Amino acid sequence: MATESETLQRSGRFQYAEIRGKAFEAILIAATLVGLVALILLFGFMFFDAFGPLSASLEWYLLFFSTLVAPVSAFTLYCRRNPAARTANARASAAVFGGLVLSLAAYIVLRAMSPYGPLVYLITVSSMPLSVAVYGRYTENSYFVGPAMVLAMLLAIVWTFGSEVLLFPLLDAVFGLGNDLLGGVPVLGSVPVPVGRGLLVTAIAVGVPTLALANSVLRRRTSRAGILAVFAVLGLSAAGTAGLDQLIRPILEVLPIWSAYAGVIGLPVTGILALLITRQRGMRAGITAVVAVVGGGLAVVAIASAVSMDPSLWVVLFFGMGVPTAYVVGEAVISDRDGRVGVAGPFVILGGILVGAYLERLLSVTGPDSWVTPTLLTNSWNGLTATEAGAYPSIVGSIMIVSFMALMAFPVGVGAAIYLEEYAPDTGWKGRLTNLVELNIANLAGVPSVVYGLLGLALFQNLLNFAPGLVFSAAATLGFLILPIVIVSAQEALKAVPDSLREASYGMGASRWQTIRSVVLPEAVPGILTGTILALGRAIGETAPLIIIAVPTTTFTTPGGLFSSGAAVPLRIFSASANFAPEYRKGVVAALAIVLLVLMLTMNAIAIVIRNRYQQ
Amino acid sequence: MSKKRETELSSLERSEFIVRKERLYGQLLAACAVLTIAVTGGIILSLSGQALTFFGHVSPIDFLTGQNWSPLSNTPSYGVIPLISGTLIVTVGSAVIALPVGLGAAIYLSEYASSRVRGIVKPLLEILAGIPTVIYGYFALVYLTPLLDAPLPIRQTIIPGEFVLVVPSISTFNALSASIAVGVMIIPMVSSISEDALSAVPDSLREAGYGLGSTKFDVSTSIVVPAATSGIVSSYVLALSRAIGETMIVVVAAGESPKMPTFPNILENFTESIETMTVAMVNIASAESLGETVAYESMFAIGLTLFAITLTMNYIAELISRQYREEY
Repeated sequence: MATESETLQRSGRFQYAEIRGKAFEAILIAATLVGLVALILLFGFMFFDAFGPLSASLEWYLLFFSTLVAPVSAFTLYCRRNPAARTANARASAAVFGGLVLSLAAYIVLRAMSPYGPLVYLITVSSMPLSVAVYGRYTENSYFVGPAMVLAMLLAIVWTFGSEVLLFPLLDAVFGLGNDLLGGVPVLGSVPVPVGRGLLVTAIAVGVPTLALANSVLRRRTSRAGILAVFAVLGLSAAGTAGLDQLIRPILEVLPIWSAYAGVIGLPVTGILALLITRQRGMRAGITAVVAVVGGGLAVVAIASAVSMDPSLWVVLFFGMGVPTAYVVGEAVISDRDGRVGVAGPFVILGGILVGAYLERLLSVTGPDSWVTPTLLTNSWNGLTATEAGAYPSIVGSIMIVSFMALMAFPVGVGAAIYLEEYAPDTGWKGRLTNLVELNIANLAGVPSVVYGLLGLALFQNLLNFAPGLVFSAAATLGFLILPIVIVSAQEALKAVPDSLREASYGMGASRWQTIRSVVLPEAVPGILTGTILALGRAIGETAPLIIIAVPTTTFTTPGGLFSSGAAVPLRIFSASANFAPEYRKGVVAALAIVLLVLMLTMNAIAIVIRNRYQQ
Repeated sequence: MSKKRETELSSLERSEFIVRKERLYGQLLAACAVLTIAVTGGIILSLSGQALTFFGHVSPIDFLTGQNWSPLSNTPSYGVIPLISGTLIVTVGSAVIALPVGLGAAIYLSEYASSRVRGIVKPLLEILAGIPTVIYGYFALVYLTPLLDAPLPIRQTIIPGEFVLVVPSISTFNALSASIAVGVMIIPMVSSISEDALSAVPDSLREAGYGLGSTKFDVSTSIVVPAATSGIVSSYVLALSRAIGETMIVVVAAGESPKMPTFPNILENFTESIETMTVAMVNIASAESLGETVAYESMFAIGLTLFAITLTMNYIAELISRQYREEY
């Protein structure tokens, strides 16, 4: 038997099979490599043209190796051995770099829009839900707080934002439609248009909430507080619709501009910090922290004014990056004995870059002849001299479009996912509806992006008569586009929450919403965030729908608000790729492409880090 | 006694306000879900509304059978065949690259690669799907086309007097580089979905194959791949539908000259500039910001055609993959 099997093994047939297997494996590896090689080629070519790494001298590489690469690698090695330090490092890096990026983005968007308007909206939109929350803290039956806050926020948004910009075009469209259909029957159309619209908007925005509240108060015969609330809502909504821009904004504009930045960025940051510290260490520490933060902000303003610089940027950086960093570092130094050293991580990187740049200038070392320069990021476009060309308006436009898109698509997408996973029944006509919705979402994910552009075009330009290419239409169109992606990834995240947690919560007597809010969602947040960030990364690079809804491909001014003409980095790449001058073709455009790719890769990396951290 | 129990029970009931609140939240969330249907409805309504007015000007038969597409000229003509053929050229070109490569990568990742290699390679491949398409287009135009054009034109005599291999040089805007870029872009769609399907094949099937003395090659090709056929096919269909709807790569790299395909030398079609359905839409949109002309409406007619094609393909893919889900 043994000899027989040996002969079987050595027969030519077996050798043939072995060779065949090896060849097959080689083909498979080659197929896998095709994709990887394509990736390397794509990045390599563009990186090479954008940064020109060959033009730098050897000294430059040595300099940055010694100031940046060596210390960072040493620190990373240290952190690998010490898990506590690694965690602290990750938190500090998130605070420093996240804070830096977010504050810069917030600053340039606010600068483009003028910060007074956002401040007005921030105050009006947040004061109502906040007052509800505060009232709820001092009453016994606080279960109304949740819906009341949601309602208050929605109402405030409709009043401030909607009455001015959303309802007017909508009403125009409706009345235009009515006139077309009824042959111009003069109902409200006979009233001079601005007055008629304004009256109607005010009537709707003031009347509906007041009547609703009055109705519920009368039916329940509640106390005097309820009746007072009716008048409060009446007054607030009247103030809201009478044109906040006209009433409050002039008052605010007396203030210096840095205080508007401080209001928009500083108020929420300080509030969150105060809440966090009060919860952890008590009221006293919270008040101390607030005093320290406000004092620090004022000190920044004083120093900047003393050297006669505009304090706005520094105020934003202080509140957006300085305060979170101080909180994370302070917490680690005080309470995290093992990981204390880890918080130095981001400062090693930042210090390395700064020292390197300083030495580079001091020793006049030849750096690389890079196209990724401050000019590229801060200038507006120049079609004649490549060294002067920049994409600042497009960058601001992209940030505005993507952030407003996220604000619109995220709540709806997550809400739909929660409904499909937690509420939707499997049987009956509702079950069939659920099936339909799920099939529909799968199909929507496969609809080409150009078609979404057509939807945006028909909806905003034809139906609502918006001007072509507004930031708002662009954001909403891309919002429709990423909605299925957000829903599907949020569903995956919700599915991953084990049922035992839900059952435990129900067993404790929690209602369905309570279970979702305090058990399911906290577990699912990392997964939801991962999917959303990936969807944002996709939206940043979308070009075709923006062209269809006529967002201008060439702009020289930054978009001034939601309802001004938009701009986006991929559109800039699109229009510049038609320029055949070599310094554009293989210089500026490559640099812009690298900027966009780095942005996308960073978002992907953040998403992967979040996923890996929480998926253990 | 019973009365006492009743009061105890009623105290366990939630108050009316909380019940209402619960219901309100449920309805709000359901509204979010229903909004997705409204989006589809909006797409269909907006597309068909404008397309219908377009078909009032141009008969659907002329649209679907016409061989000349020139909506912006003085004597406009709206025949969609050149656009469909352009789309087909790009789709076929990208399929030639992406389908075998994607499947190969999927088999490698699922059957041969160690879990560590898979953990690194799979996300790297997926980056390919996330790169903005306008960058692919730029890459194809500026880097790929010169690279492909460098050894061209080739005029090589293979058999003297009998057969001369002629490969003409390619034009600046050409279908070849665009299809390669589209193909690279859809590789991860094929590889990821196919890999999921291959990994879903139960190990018992593989073990049965090995138990019968099969080699790894036999198990992969004769057991695992056939068992995952429906998943692979559905990944193919999805990837092709993505290629059909791809816009920016083709706009930037393949130019804008609608052409009827040339036969029998099919390869020649790839060396020249073409125009796909998506490019035609972008062209009209960037030229026509004035409003309701016939050209403007024709954009929606193409959009409707495109939507119908991709919707059908996605639906087929969904059906196939549902079939395959029931298998195990």
